[in-house]
Amino acid sequence: MSNPVTMDKPGETVLLMGNEAIVRGALEAGIRIAASYPGTPASEIGNTLAEIAKETGIHFEWSTNEKVAFEVVYGASMCNQRGLVPMKHVGLNVALDIMEMAALRGVKGGLVFVSADDPSQHSSGQEQDQRWLAKQNCIPVLEPSDPQDAKDFTIHAFELSERHKQPVMLRTVTRVSHMRSNVKLGELKKLNREAKFDFEQFSYVVAGFDKMFYGREKEANEKIARMMAEFDSSPLNKLVMTGKEKVGVIATGQTYNYVMDALVKLGAKEKVAVLKLGTSNPLPEGPITKLLKGVNKILVTEEPDPFVELHVKALAKDANPKVELYGRIGGKLPAEGELMPYMVDGVIAEMLGQKPEGNPRAEVEKEAKDLIFGRMLTVCAGCPHRPSIYALKRAVKAVKGDIHKVVMNGDIGCYGLAWAPPMSYEDTYFCMGASLGVSQGMSQVGIDTIAWIGDGTFFHAAIPALMNAVQTKTNIKVVVADNGVTAMTGFQPNPQSGKMATGEATKSVSIEAIAKAVGVEHVEVTDAYDTKATEAAFKRMLKTEGVAMVISRRICATEAIRQMRPKRPVPYEVDESKCVGCKLCLTTFGCPGLNFDEDKKKASIDPTICMGCGVCAQVCNVGCIHRRDE
Amino acid sequence: MKTTRVVIAGVGGQGTLLATRLIAETAIKQGLQVRIGETYGMAQRGGPVMGHIQIGEAYSPQIRPGEADALLGFEIAEATRRGVTYLKQGGLAIVNSKKLPPVEVISGMRKYPEEGELVKLLKKVSSKVAVFDATKLAEKAGDPIATNMVMLGALAASGVLPFGQDEIMATMKESIPTRFLELNMKAFKLGAEALKKSKGLLTFLPRA
Ligand SMILES: Cc1ncc(C[n+]2csc(CCOP(=O)(O)OP(=O)(O)O)c2C)c(N)n1
Ligand code: SF4
Ligand code: SF4
Ligand code: SF4
Repeated sequence: MSNPVTMDKPGETVLLMGNEAIVRGALEAGIRIAASYPGTPASEIGNTLAEIAKETGIHFEWSTNEKVAFEVVYGASMCNQRGLVPMKHVGLNVALDIMEMAALRGVKGGLVFVSADDPSQHSSGQEQDQRWLAKQNCIPVLEPSDPQDAKDFTIHAFELSERHKQPVMLRTVTRVSHMRSNVKLGELKKLNREAKFDFEQFSYVVAGFDKMFYGREKEANEKIARMMAEFDSSPLNKLVMTGKEKVGVIATGQTYNYVMDALVKLGAKEKVAVLKLGTSNPLPEGPITKLLKGVNKILVTEEPDPFVELHVKALAKDANPKVELYGRIGGKLPAEGELMPYMVDGVIAEMLGQKPEGNPRAEVEKEAKDLIFGRMLTVCAGCPHRPSIYALKRAVKAVKGDIHKVVMNGDIGCYGLAWAPPMSYEDTYFCMGASLGVSQGMSQVGIDTIAWIGDGTFFHAAIPALMNAVQTKTNIKVVVADNGVTAMTGFQPNPQSGKMATGEATKSVSIEAIAKAVGVEHVEVTDAYDTKATEAAFKRMLKTEGVAMVISRRICATEAIRQMRPKRPVPYEVDESKCVGCKLCLTTFGCPGLNFDEDKKKASIDPTICMGCGVCAQVCNVGCIHRRDE
Repeated sequence: MKTTRVVIAGVGGQGTLLATRLIAETAIKQGLQVRIGETYGMAQRGGPVMGHIQIGEAYSPQIRPGEADALLGFEIAEATRRGVTYLKQGGLAIVNSKKLPPVEVISGMRKYPEEGELVKLLKKVSSKVAVFDATKLAEKAGDPIATNMVMLGALAASGVLPFGQDEIMATMKESIPTRFLELNMKAFKLGAEALKKSKGLLTFLPRA
């Protein structure tokens, strides 16, 4: 079937995920370029762009990090081209420096960046609400409620960006990014604009005149004021109100869905006025004031912070000081996290004087919780990170006597799951690249450390920290868990993969060459699947003074399987006649392919899960695990 | 039209997403409105995966507790966990008896619950619980990887969806690469047969 994202059939209805719909919207807006860095829940935007870039003639790249991605697209925007920068919410923290500058200096070709926020942290370390950063920097925020909106709002965003010469934030939440629904396609567009930098205007020059800077702040504020006026009658905001309602709801972005479902369920469509809010910054004060004046009670739904609610509270002071405000501030809805449909049902029921139902399954859910495990995350069967950790733990025990003689500072990626039992070896875990920095501070005050970092994260954020360690002669040990790809976010290529986002071959950047170039003298490379050799390399690293590095290398097992499809690797099996039932393979290594039969008191391997890496055979002292064909 | 709601539960790598997509694409071809919410944050690493499918009028991508017409459970513990929350009173649970022990069980921290206890719990919300070994049927079709099609076949034959087996098979023909099509079709049909055979005695389907 042809790819619905590039299908040239305006008017056709197709099934699209929110993230795919954003790409379709960008194509209907005629983008020339896009750059991204992977991160859930944004990754499918880039994955889709990578798939369609060649076919549509746009440039797409997986940049080394979000800041680079933003700069690349900003460069093209200065030359009058439209461009998209999708990223995970925390990616914006990395790109913040350039985002602020772009907001202050303005853009030429439309520049839209996506902040894919993750309320309730389905796959993130924090649930940062990035709308605050936009507000702080005079950047408008558009919040789609579903895939159709995602496509349509993207087109609006480009148009808005170009008209006001300001970058625009398209802000999604996980439930929109990953929602699939019907999307009616529009027309694909090619702008074919000449790329041109405006030398005369000096728009982007940093001059040393403070007047010029202040001028820019004023301009940005004026842009926001103009947009605010425009948003009052924008199709992105829809007020449905007869004037007879006593209850009103301001439903922001995705939460509009919960509000509408609640009204259907409660049979209250006629009793509640609803403002579907698509522009959360600047807020359309016109319709909000109208709503505030017309009702006695008002609910604001949004995720996760009371960003709109705070502003509505301020507006209510003048518009209708007696209005009762329901939302996250007063505690009617939880102060953090995503909303759940039943929560919204409950507050609206309460506002209408009906009895809220709550979660009807709370009791039996508790029983299920007692009976069923939580299903902890762990790395895949055959994952190279598991033997690396196994070997590292053994090496630290052998050299230092106890694993707690060293603080194991982990980093962001699949290998961050080193804390999962039975490995359970990781003491800290923060944000991209932090392992190298915090290790140095600990080391400076006399605590031994290991920085445990992946290849993708190394390129993204660790190189400055590594140079720092060399310059300051800090005694740190660095293990690069190198699986060749950025696996956790979906196997995207990184600078050493030797290919670009589109699959086209390119040079491979060598981690060991970088380490040596910045002055790390002890650099070793081992095969993660060879536990003995890897353990020996770790021991040598631990005994070396100063900055020392081991790169434990082996392709991500899941990526390897993807590449050999439809063939499957030959699985391993346990020779039951030899297995002594000691469970060592399970309690010290614990690959998900292994299992234990309590009746027979023997280990076994599930051939449908086993990736055939053969490492468990090295862990078993008895030698009863072997390849099926051997 | 009444809205049809189905919850799909499983573990990363079981192919739940493809099953969900085939249902949704079929619905769209019938001119119906669909909403799918998927939770798969860490699916790659053995984490739980859940899909909510709603066909007809529905705004939210999530089904409310106790409102799913059917549960399609690819792994028995995941099926029970989700079933007790989402399956409506009297809704149909189609459950693969396959156990995928998580790391808590593998490393000896917890025991995998008995199948009987799981089913007992699930029956607290509905008596229509059909448990069968879909993975074995997939093996019979040629590859355990086709478990998802066995499950899809069973759901298609159950009559819960607003369309039948033929419509889904037509979508399969369009979206599945030719070299995998035969295997998938075979698995789909075995699943449909298994469910039909069980009509009347829904508690336990014949073990393949
Ligand atoms: C600033 C930021 N951008 C993106 C992400 C999303 N993210 C999670 S893990 C990861 C990188 C994983 O790559 P790698 O270091 O190669 O480890 P692997 O998963 O391959 O083991 C990324 C980019 C993030 N957490 N923070
Ligand atoms: S995706 Fe690859 S790197 Fe990540 S846990 Fe699985 S095998 Fe390991
Ligand atoms: S380590 Fe070897 S002997 Fe011990 S349970 Fe595992 S397979 Fe059997
Ligand atoms: S060979 Fe052993 S360690 Fe490797 S994937 Fe199979 S069961 Fe797991």
